[in-house]
Amino acid sequence: MKLAHIQHLYNRIGFGITPKELKHLSKKPQKQVVNSIFENSKTTTPVTVDLSFLKEYKVTDFKKKEIRQAIQKKSRKKVKEFGIAWFNRLKNPSEVLREKMTLFWANHFVCQSNNILFIQNYNNVLRKNALGSFREFTKIVSKEAAMLGYLNNKQNKKKSPNENFARELMELFTLGQGHYTEKDITESARAFTGYNHNFRGKFVLKNRHHDEGEKTFLGKNGNFNGDNIIDIILEQKQCATFICEKVYRYFVNDTINKKHIDEMTEVFYKDYNIENLMRTVFLSKWFYDEKNIGAKIKSPTEFLVGINTVVPYKMLREKQLLLLQKLLGQMLMNPPNVAGWKTGRNWIDSNTIVTRLRLASVLLNNAQITYSDKGDEEADISDFKSKKLRRKTFIKMEANWETFKRNYKNTSKKELIQLLVTPKLSVETEAMLLKNKQMPLQDFCVQLMSLPEYQLC
Amino acid sequence: MKRRDFLKQSTLASGMFFVPQFLKAFESIPNKTFGNKKVVIVQLKGGNDGLNTVIPFQNDIYYQQRKTIAIQHNNILKLSDEVGLHKNLQPLKNLYDKGFVSIINNVGYPNPNLSHFRSTDIWQTASDSNEYLQNGWVGRYLDYTKSNPYKAIEVDESLSLMLKGKTQNGLAVTDPKLLHRYMREPFFNNVIKNYNDAHLSEHNLGYLYNALIDAKSSAKYISEKSNPKNTSATYPKNIFGKQLKTIANFINSKLETQVYYAGLSGFDTHANQPNTQARLLKIYAESMEVFVNDLQKNNAFDDVIILTFSEFGRRVQQNQSNGTDHGAANTVFVIGKNLKKQGLYNNLPNLGNLDSRGNLKYEVDFREIYATLLDKWLQIDDSAILNKSFSKLKFI
Repeated sequence: MKLAHIQHLYNRIGFGITPKELKHLSKKPQKQVVNSIFENSKTTTPVTVDLSFLKEYKVTDFKKKEIRQAIQKKSRKKVKEFGIAWFNRLKNPSEVLREKMTLFWANHFVCQSNNILFIQNYNNVLRKNALGSFREFTKIVSKEAAMLGYLNNKQNKKKSPNENFARELMELFTLGQGHYTEKDITESARAFTGYNHNFRGKFVLKNRHHDEGEKTFLGKNGNFNGDNIIDIILEQKQCATFICEKVYRYFVNDTINKKHIDEMTEVFYKDYNIENLMRTVFLSKWFYDEKNIGAKIKSPTEFLVGINTVVPYKMLREKQLLLLQKLLGQMLMNPPNVAGWKTGRNWIDSNTIVTRLRLASVLLNNAQITYSDKGDEEADISDFKSKKLRRKTFIKMEANWETFKRNYKNTSKKELIQLLVTPKLSVETEAMLLKNKQMPLQDFCVQLMSLPEYQLC
Repeated sequence: MKRRDFLKQSTLASGMFFVPQFLKAFESIPNKTFGNKKVVIVQLKGGNDGLNTVIPFQNDIYYQQRKTIAIQHNNILKLSDEVGLHKNLQPLKNLYDKGFVSIINNVGYPNPNLSHFRSTDIWQTASDSNEYLQNGWVGRYLDYTKSNPYKAIEVDESLSLMLKGKTQNGLAVTDPKLLHRYMREPFFNNVIKNYNDAHLSEHNLGYLYNALIDAKSSAKYISEKSNPKNTSATYPKNIFGKQLKTIANFINSKLETQVYYAGLSGFDTHANQPNTQARLLKIYAESMEVFVNDLQKNNAFDDVIILTFSEFGRRVQQNQSNGTDHGAANTVFVIGKNLKKQGLYNNLPNLGNLDSRGNLKYEVDFREIYATLLDKWLQIDDSAILNKSFSKLKFI
């Protein structure tokens, strides 16, 4: 397989590739390379944090305000810890494609919760189903405690229906705007009434709150439950198209090519098998078209993790990761709303571009960064007074340049450009970079990572 | 290599490259100026309790529903026979007495959302409550006027949705000098200088370069134009005071910026509300008075309207923790010199007619306030920015 194509593939299914791996794969045919990617993601390794603190508590403890607040406080802390654990997983993934797909689904089935038990479970549901059946996946998501809370389906009762989940299910998770009526929302909300979960987050259907009556939904009549509704939605080819378009924008190009989408939809609509869909994309000829290579703006996570592929680094103060995520605009545990992060050019504004271009020197070269520590809307404000006005800080890092040196031994600067920067540099830019012949390869690497071109993959 | 040695060698840290050349990026943008009116938007983040801010002290329901946290008569700065301000708002009362304040009650929107994030989005994008817009109303203002990023400034490190448009974005700045210094890195100059693609905006790479050039030009503009000497006033030493000081400095330095955005966090008072809210209102009012006086001293106040909102108000009935839960309609302050309607703009909330969740019903759609500011103050087609037409209020 061609080097440039392997690099492209690994930029999209993962976070770049090391020279050694690249060399190894270049001897294999494309089909084998793609197959091995799926083979490596056959298994699922959940991300977990230590939740033993929860074992001490019983259901009745939640009725006592002080204990409840203590648990909630601890839980919020654990959610942050989980965000860090998730990021560390992305830096060292054993199942690369599965992890990339998990990120994709986290921005599709968007959910947020301060309950560590629920959100950890939810995150691993995304991971486990990332390459499975979209049908089962959607049904599982509809019953997850974190989602039941996030979109208020817990409050959805026969006597007082709450349409939030039903609306987003169609608008954001399956069909997209304009492919259903307000009546379809009202009727399908009835089918999801009574959905709830127990103390441990296990799904329960509360029969007395469930509406057993007949519903009319997308032209069909029946005593539908939530699963039936999802099945009826998936009968619409639009659902397959909607998901394929989203996959295309994430893995191929921000600009949709209708012919390619039709091709994908034909495959996906058959059985909603996600793995088959992804295989079709990575084996297609058009995936490797020139205009798709280096065409996408990296997400903050792709950017942060991508640097680590080249120069492994460790945050000495792990919480600083959250600060970086905030400045770059993607705190993994805090999606902006149920519509998720706006991707592509939306990642970039005057502030994030500056942060991005300085980030390599901040991370690898110990440059300074400034920020205000104000807490967010829901933060505990008891220590408000003690917070300083504005801080300047160094991100405490340990950059593993030894690994870089080992991996890029005998690599010329020109070769390093090829390995790190996907779009072609202008002749002038390349000459500017290569001008200083004495510059060590590490410094040269930091410079490459400070180019606007490095923001693309 | 030791980090320090490495630091020395790095061109990014030390500046080995030379040739500082400034790219006049803005020349390609027609510089339309729509007057010199300015709007300063302040968000009280977390949902300020409007009922304990502007207090209906003759209302029995108020005292019944808030047995432990209602503000007692002796702690109220009376504005009329039935309404008064929280006692920590004395500096705001001073402005009120000069006729600089208009208090608009019952501001909200249909089908209120009680999530901080969602409701903040709704306020920032000026959307309906079931509509997800990807850009903010100030961002769309920048789009429409084809403005430079520095036309709208948020005093923060990261940019809120409110200032993000479809094609143009505002700028988030806390320290313009520092931003300018970052951007003056010779490396960035060289990078920009050597990029010579004619199709600068047609693909993502062009977009990135444009964003870089915009940032650089804006940083240079703000940094060179603003002069710290233009704000000699002493502001309270807290983040909010610092933010207003920065804004006053920009306004007094006659920056072309038309919209400023700042925020004060911590209003999510589910528990032990009285002390927390009192402290925050004090911070708000003290800083605001210094700010207004500072602008006045520099003859800049005539052209400034200050809008203070919160993403929602709080429940009428207090909870068991001496606090209040998320609510709906709320009070908005408009501060300015030549207000058409000073004092109380409309009726106090009707505490006997609440929605199904026990929250105040809205009477004024917040987008009517935006429409008024856009139409009457910034003098621009408000419906083009708000995507539909709203009736205008009479405060300006």
